[in-house]
Amino acid sequence: MNVVLNICRFNPEVDVKPYFQEFTVLVEEHNTVLDALLQAWQQDPGLSFRRSCRSAICGSCALCINGRPGLACQTLIRNAITEDGRITLEPLPHFRQLKDLVVDLDPFFESLKAVVPWVVIRDNHDGRMTPEVARKLESPATCILCGVCHAAMDDPGEVKPAALVKGLRLALDPRDVLGAARLQLMKVPRDILRLFIKNLPEKCPKGITVPEDVCHV
Amino acid sequence: MLMHEVLVVGGGLAGLMAALVASQKADVAVLSKIYPTRSHSGAAQGGFNAALGEDDSIEDHIFDTVKGSDYLGDQDAIEVLCSEGPEVILELERMGVPWTRTPEGRVAQRSLGGAGFPRACFAADFSGHVVLHTLFEQVLRRGIKIYPEWHLVELLVEDGQVAGVLAYDLARARLEVIRSKAVILATGGYGRAFAKTTNAHANTGDGMAIAYRAGAILSDMEFVQFHPTTLYGTNILISEAARGEGGYLRNCHGERFMVHYAPQKMELAPRDVVSRAIFKEIKEGRGFEGQYVHLDLTHLGEALVAERLPQVRDLAIRYAGVDPASAPMPIEPAQHYSMGGVRTDVWGMTSLPGLLAAGEVANVSVHGANRLGGNSLLETVVFGRRAGHRAAQLARQEPWPTLSAATITRAYESWSSLLAGRGQGVQEDSTFAIRQEMTNLMTNQVGVFRVGSELEDAVNRLAKLKERYQKLKPPGGVQPFNYALMDYLEVGYLLDLCEIIARGALRRTESRGAHYRLDYPQRDDQNWLCHTFVRRGEDRPEFSNGPVKITRYAPQERGY
Ligand SMILES: Cc1cc2nc3c(=O)[nH]c(=O)nc-3n(C[C@H](O)[C@H](O)[C@H](O)COP(=O)(O)OP(=O)(O)OC[C@H]3O[C@@H](n4cnc5c(N)ncnc54)[C@H](O)[C@@H]3O)c2cc1C
Ligand code: SF4
Ligand code: FES
Repeated sequence: MNVVLNICRFNPEVDVKPYFQEFTVLVEEHNTVLDALLQAWQQDPGLSFRRSCRSAICGSCALCINGRPGLACQTLIRNAITEDGRITLEPLPHFRQLKDLVVDLDPFFESLKAVVPWVVIRDNHDGRMTPEVARKLESPATCILCGVCHAAMDDPGEVKPAALVKGLRLALDPRDVLGAARLQLMKVPRDILRLFIKNLPEKCPKGITVPEDVCHV
Repeated sequence: MLMHEVLVVGGGLAGLMAALVASQKADVAVLSKIYPTRSHSGAAQGGFNAALGEDDSIEDHIFDTVKGSDYLGDQDAIEVLCSEGPEVILELERMGVPWTRTPEGRVAQRSLGGAGFPRACFAADFSGHVVLHTLFEQVLRRGIKIYPEWHLVELLVEDGQVAGVLAYDLARARLEVIRSKAVILATGGYGRAFAKTTNAHANTGDGMAIAYRAGAILSDMEFVQFHPTTLYGTNILISEAARGEGGYLRNCHGERFMVHYAPQKMELAPRDVVSRAIFKEIKEGRGFEGQYVHLDLTHLGEALVAERLPQVRDLAIRYAGVDPASAPMPIEPAQHYSMGGVRTDVWGMTSLPGLLAAGEVANVSVHGANRLGGNSLLETVVFGRRAGHRAAQLARQEPWPTLSAATITRAYESWSSLLAGRGQGVQEDSTFAIRQEMTNLMTNQVGVFRVGSELEDAVNRLAKLKERYQKLKPPGGVQPFNYALMDYLEVGYLLDLCEIIARGALRRTESRGAHYRLDYPQRDDQNWLCHTFVRRGEDRPEFSNGPVKITRYAPQERGY
């Protein structure tokens, strides 16, 4: 079927401000928005957008689909197409647009550093962990650093949500010396953290859940 | 000009592991065409093999690997791989990898194909992802410099010694020279040479082609692994873990057909065996719609599927519209892994002084003619670690290699003459068209089953595609994020590699592991128990044979 992609274009070398361009592409209903973008790219090789895994595990293809941040490779055409047969694609909000759908990710990756984003291993740790605890770490450990949560928050604030996810995942890790002290480190009040944890699964394309009891540690 | 004692190219598992180890003794930077956490390693689901269990042994792991390789793996390298496995897993544990655990709290292990024991350490079916992110955390901890979205374009060689690289910064649309004492290539595989592949878009074999062009030796390139179970249509991987957890393969009569091909191992036979079995079923009319077979997990119960295979379930629901807990998945084989690569020794040293390689880009060779599931993730960390260690040592001992202005000028000039464009006016052709023909050709004629006449035809048609490619005008224009230009370069790399793969396959007149010749169905140890070496010749690749290192296990017939 034919789909019209309404894509936000911007080339800093020539454009003063972003504009929209329409591409008509031929795709199947069960194709993804990324498949459609790859078609558009064939029509205009100058179109810039990131992609790699095409299976929702690398985080590259995050963008704004009909005003909602998500992953292009995870979104099926049939779920994205509006009644008039169009899909609007824009770069992630709250990020600086560098070219077409490509945004500046440096501040996002940089912000991870604020939470001491690694396990500070206990000297006496024996390398064991109960399956229950391991299961708790699982969901937050699958964060793909796509930035969708940051783009989807109304007021993302200083520490980026993905950094919070990382910090919370580490706070749950029994091997880590910092443990509960990580919550202080994040400089985010506990009730705000709780609210964040509650809202995250709905915004995050991986549906990441952080056990709320982390706020009691 | 930028300078780093050790420059790691590639931010996947092999690259990050190499960088971490090298950074203990040297100044290191990582250059990667995508942000490290987005590397293809993150898609790996199944797990990392290591003989940790009390009933398992390193010896058994070595034997399974040698046998799996169809006796083409170098046994000294396999010994290193298997012996260092347990200690690397422990190291990863201390870096913070959130493994799935046994009731006793130890790292849990599961069965993957071709193994005599549940040997793969895993984290649900996100094994590659969690380890990649854990290594990335450690890279942040050490403050290692990262050049994200920088493409390696050329190795700068002075008097036969690699003295640095020419790299392209995609965001600033600029070329840069980076000088180094040692370059470690960790750029992964070439899966995108095939139309049907489980690989990410980034897997275009850049490192292999660039090393080859600079004069390094590649080996065993004709050995291409096809994974038996990828979702029909999209070829998104359904991990071997799905069979490891007890999944069945069924043909359109509902029959578990593996009983005819590998009665002892059934679904857990090695990948080459299972891929061929599936194709044979389809070819002989026992597939569904003549196209695919079923992978059935319905008897495992929803709880197990949800706990052990959450990603598999999610992928199947999303991309095939099937919930594997309640209905079988449609699957077909597709290209999966590049067994060949830049030839290295067990320390990652290549034939080019100053150049090291590790991970899927390298051929050390531990997989021989067929890789076992779980061995490649292990390879990335074991040999990444070794390459990092050796590169740091070189950085300590060696002076800065000379890099003359003449060499740099030559590299810049060849870049600008490339961009200045050839063949004006033939723009009815495109990189897209060439890529599509090339990948279809590889899947159809250089795939699971091969035959001399088709291979010969493939070689000729690839040569024609190359001619067309030479006439293309590269998509120039100085602009940030010029992906069309990168695509153009990548197709050039792939064309070089496809030619080598097809010629290598034509040359090897036997069947061994993943290389199956319908016209030569037997393994031929008399003539072909040897590696294929290839280096760049005047106008075509030059092939030769190299010895296989056999230490303990003499070749036997391989049955499962
Ligand atoms: C879907 C899937 C599942 C898998 N599951 C398993 C499993 O369960 N167990 C197992 O053992 N193996 C598995 N494998 C194989 C294994 O994942 C890979 O072989 C391994 O991850 C390769 O790691 P690597 O570090 O060598 O390369 P990659 O992870 O592919 O990284 C390559 C890096 O090189 C960079 N790069 C490439 N070209 C350039 C360039 N020109 N300039 C700069 N940078 C460049 C990329 O940016 C990237 O950072 C799987 C493979 C696939 C496809
Ligand atoms: S928490 Fe979810 S949305 Fe945010 S970066 Fe991680 S995966 Fe993306
Ligand atoms: S391409 Fe990797 S998440 Fe979409």
